[in-house]
Amino acid sequence: MTEPAISARHLARSFGPTKALVDVSLDVVPGSVCALLGRNGAGKTTTVRILTTLLAADAGHAQVAGFDVHDQANEVRARIGVTGQTATMDELLNGAENLETIGRFCHLGAATSRRRARELLEQFDLVDATKLLVKQYSGGMRRRLDLAASLIHGPEILFLDEPTTGLDPVSRAEMWTSIRTLVAGGTTVLLTTQYLDEADRLADTIVVVDRGLVVAEGTPEQLKASIGRPFVRVTLPDVDPATLEKVRRLLGEEAEVSGRSVSAPAPQGLTTLEEVVGQLRELGVPVHEVGLEHPSLDEVFSAVTDHSQHAVAPAASTAGAA
Amino acid sequence: MTARVAVQAERQLRGGLLDAYTATRRFLIRGMRQPDVIFGSVLIPVIFVVLFGYVFGSSIRLPGGGNYRSYLMPGLFAMSVLFNSNNVAVAVATDMSEGVVDRFRTLPIARSAIVVGRSLSSLVLGIPVLVVMILCGLAVGWRPEDGLGNAVLAFLLFELFGYAIGWLGVLVGLLAGGPQAADVIISIPTFLLGFISSVFVDPALMPAWLRVIAYWNPVSAVVTAGRQLFGNTIGPPPSGVWSLDHPIATTIVLAVVIMIVAIPICVRRYSHSTR
Repeated sequence: MTEPAISARHLARSFGPTKALVDVSLDVVPGSVCALLGRNGAGKTTTVRILTTLLAADAGHAQVAGFDVHDQANEVRARIGVTGQTATMDELLNGAENLETIGRFCHLGAATSRRRARELLEQFDLVDATKLLVKQYSGGMRRRLDLAASLIHGPEILFLDEPTTGLDPVSRAEMWTSIRTLVAGGTTVLLTTQYLDEADRLADTIVVVDRGLVVAEGTPEQLKASIGRPFVRVTLPDVDPATLEKVRRLLGEEAEVSGRSVSAPAPQGLTTLEEVVGQLRELGVPVHEVGLEHPSLDEVFSAVTDHSQHAVAPAASTAGAA
Repeated sequence: MTARVAVQAERQLRGGLLDAYTATRRFLIRGMRQPDVIFGSVLIPVIFVVLFGYVFGSSIRLPGGGNYRSYLMPGLFAMSVLFNSNNVAVAVATDMSEGVVDRFRTLPIARSAIVVGRSLSSLVLGIPVLVVMILCGLAVGWRPEDGLGNAVLAFLLFELFGYAIGWLGVLVGLLAGGPQAADVIISIPTFLLGFISSVFVDPALMPAWLRVIAYWNPVSAVVTAGRQLFGNTIGPPPSGVWSLDHPIATTIVLAVVIMIVAIPICVRRYSHSTR
């Protein structure tokens, strides 16, 4: 097996009395997407800042693209792209000027910087905004430009710190599409997110962090299997025992009735939901709402702490978790 | 081995210069996009000319006699380059409070690039302000009376001093908690240095303790150097104040010392500011 693109061992970092990171270790295989999943303040951003040479760890060490993040910072910087939580583009420059500046800082030369800037603006659907100053950009456009800027020098490894936090659903979907395109091109991605569904959609492996510790890691499938499956919930217009019974029988033996709704496990997620919708239509019963419900992030945490014995590959550091 | 080190050093130097150029270019584009700031920094010196040249100047008598406004103008040139450090401090503090610094720090650029770019761009952006002041000066009767060569030399001296003081502005911007804090912190020394000096009045008329400060104030040396080179010197020079007897040498030495001390501190401070 090849050397990991990102490898962190026992990273710790405190800010005064606050222990932001207690013990975080992770490995990311080249060409894969790793999601660092956790609540606000779990230590996601601190981890990313250490891995991207912005912050020194108090303890532990990390290698990115085979170089030590502390001792060989410039080697690391030449090979990574970073998109942080806060917009990092110059408000008073237009999109093309921002990208060109970054390109020149990466020593691509004036002509190449200009060409790459044009290509990236096309790739991220920002051509119409070429001459628009960034302060006039929408939130989604800023994030896309930020992502474009991280890519100008063709980095091997991309760090995305909460790339979709605060975006509206449409911009969020656009961001996901952009990230998937990059991954298809072979870029290794480490992203942080508070959203389980985002990690699920984008990541090959998920590392769950809580209070500065890795509490679980594995593939999305492994992780979801450990915390329970999504379920489908059918809500009727009113409480009608006969119809409720019909729906309950349709949804199988694990179905449960509560109030005017019936819920049942949806092992295939969306596919199960589609099947259920089709069957309900055939049945011809009046339906108020049908939806898929996922375990929330809170459930993930309670699950990984409560059922750590059958959690996916519980991390060595779990022992120290509160 | 030494050859390889030399090659690497040369590459580093070239990279550093290139990065400084890129940063300067960025700050210049930014500067041009802030017409309100440009307007303000051009307007304030004009107001100073009117305020001190006419409002206060009408009741100021020079000990040796002579035209107050031609005494005042070299002082105002020095004031304008001195106050430029306020803009630098606020701009650096603003940069540091924005996400853009994180972006720069994750790029493989020379550690000095951003601060050098900031100080160079403010030097360039200060030139139109100085031009406006020169025009104002000429309009109110000030003249360089010792030839064009010496006048150019005087302005180069002012710019050298302004560039050096600008690095103190960079330092304050890096150390201050935010743009407003930076503005307050830098304003205190610039006001004191600007006013307790020979910029506006002859220190000969000040109380003894203040007079000593005003004479030895480096800004007085800079202004005196300007007045000498412009041929504007008015009033008898005080005796026993070395910096006023050798104002040109004092200005150059002072500027070089400030840069030698401040630049490495700024570069270090910038690259370690959150680590």
